[in-house]
Amino acid sequence: MTSSAVSIPHGHDHGHAGHGDDHGHGHVTLQYQPGLPLSRGKLIMWLFLSTEIMFFAALLGSYVVLRFGAPIWPKPHHVHLSEPIGAFNTFVLICSSVSIVLALEAARANKVRLAKVWMVLTFLLGGLFLGVKGYEYSAKFSHGIYPVAPRGRIYERPDLYYGSAVRGRLEALRREPTDSWQLMRYSWAVRWHGSPQGAALAGWKEPETYDRLKELDEAAETALTAEQVAGRRQLQQIQKMVLNPDQQAFDMAVVADQVMPLPAEGADHGTDHGNPEGGHGAHGLNDVFPWLKLPAVIPGGCMWASTYFLLTGFHAVHVIVGLIVFAVLLSYRLDAKRAGMIENAGLYWHFVDLVWIFMFPLLYLF
Amino acid sequence: MSDHGGSSHGPVTRSGESADEALHHSIEARHDGHDDHGGHDGHGGIGKYLLVFLLLCGLTTLSFFTYSAAWPWRDQPQVGWAFMMAVSCTKAMLVILFFMHVWWEANWKYVLTIPAAMMALFLAIMLIPDVGMRNRMVSQERALHMARGSDLKLLEQAAAENPLAAQAH
Repeated sequence: MTSSAVSIPHGHDHGHAGHGDDHGHGHVTLQYQPGLPLSRGKLIMWLFLSTEIMFFAALLGSYVVLRFGAPIWPKPHHVHLSEPIGAFNTFVLICSSVSIVLALEAARANKVRLAKVWMVLTFLLGGLFLGVKGYEYSAKFSHGIYPVAPRGRIYERPDLYYGSAVRGRLEALRREPTDSWQLMRYSWAVRWHGSPQGAALAGWKEPETYDRLKELDEAAETALTAEQVAGRRQLQQIQKMVLNPDQQAFDMAVVADQVMPLPAEGADHGTDHGNPEGGHGAHGLNDVFPWLKLPAVIPGGCMWASTYFLLTGFHAVHVIVGLIVFAVLLSYRLDAKRAGMIENAGLYWHFVDLVWIFMFPLLYLF
Repeated sequence: MSDHGGSSHGPVTRSGESADEALHHSIEARHDGHDDHGGHDGHGGIGKYLLVFLLLCGLTTLSFFTYSAAWPWRDQPQVGWAFMMAVSCTKAMLVILFFMHVWWEANWKYVLTIPAAMMALFLAIMLIPDVGMRNRMVSQERALHMARGSDLKLLEQAAAENPLAAQAH
């Protein structure tokens, strides 16, 4: 748009015309008033940011609808969210916002080295944010909380469906493959040939399995810790409960509480080993025997996982894009000529910070 | 680089100076009106940024305060929500005005930010009815698997009674 508004006659390329020594040529340079009195890059960055405002407004708005429209929503400690970690990440992003602003000021003042130092610091702080985010994600994954259709290992209510899921997992544990690589190849083969029969015709053998629960039952008590012995006893009782045809809803709630109790408020996830009786130390059978991977119950947990990972995931993608931009900028000499580029990158980065300013209270403290 | 605006109205003819240079100079002239261009820091300097930084940290601590045991309205979460949103809006304003330099920009800032802000606001307002309507019409399958407050109560009861531990002793 703007390039067509500025017409430069033949022979007047930038380098030549810039000297201003071609007076007598008689050529004229047409110049039009641009729509807004700011550089093209900045204009486009602001237009992009205004679309981003609407993008995140839609995401956060949908979150609010789902959050407040839901009959029940998990408390942050139910889903192993740590508020102090979230607050720390907020602090990290605020620091990085300051450092990119200082990089811009240094570049404007032609302090090339200083600008680079601030830019490197911004890059590192962005990386730190992502690292903390990754740590948080892994804490969720280790508790079986992840977004997958129709659900991860998380069930919404302790009902018959939950009971049958626990039963199914226990049955699967009785046929645990001895070699997971072999199992993976076999499942690929089944998919390739369309059916287990087809795979068998093509010469694929079913992978060897063993009974992992039986192995635990037969293990000598001396080979186990006191906690594992207690856990084994609980596991045997749970097996009886899920197989009982007369089970009540309360029984399934007891099972769910044994598998993965909802942590009490303030209990730091995973670090509380204080209460071996199961109970409230956020220490269930899934923690005693990590290979169990039994389905767990978090009321409202599935919708929570979907919104949490979508919102923080989109934000993390924006952080990654910002880091790529900074990495590119770092390859330049950050002097006053590059101030425009740094300013645009900074605008984007401040916007990423802005989104987190709203996400942190909405996701961690509401 | 031809990405600079011009200050004069309509097409301008000027010989001897490339369009780019002319645009650049007019932008410079425009900027000089707002800040001392020769100086090292455009808008009031590093001190102002540090002040904003401290304010942001203080405000984050304030919204984190709602999580602590000292927060007086723990039984009324709505108070905390309203408070946190007010704090977040203040923080957002600080970042937009000072870190994004909008405070010092010319009037074009209104052209770009107000329509987007209004669209975002309308979008949010239009979503509000959905909060109430959300569970009025849900599929049978969803109604079957959807957690209710009673489920949480059941789990809490199971944790409190802990019949398995009672059996073990």
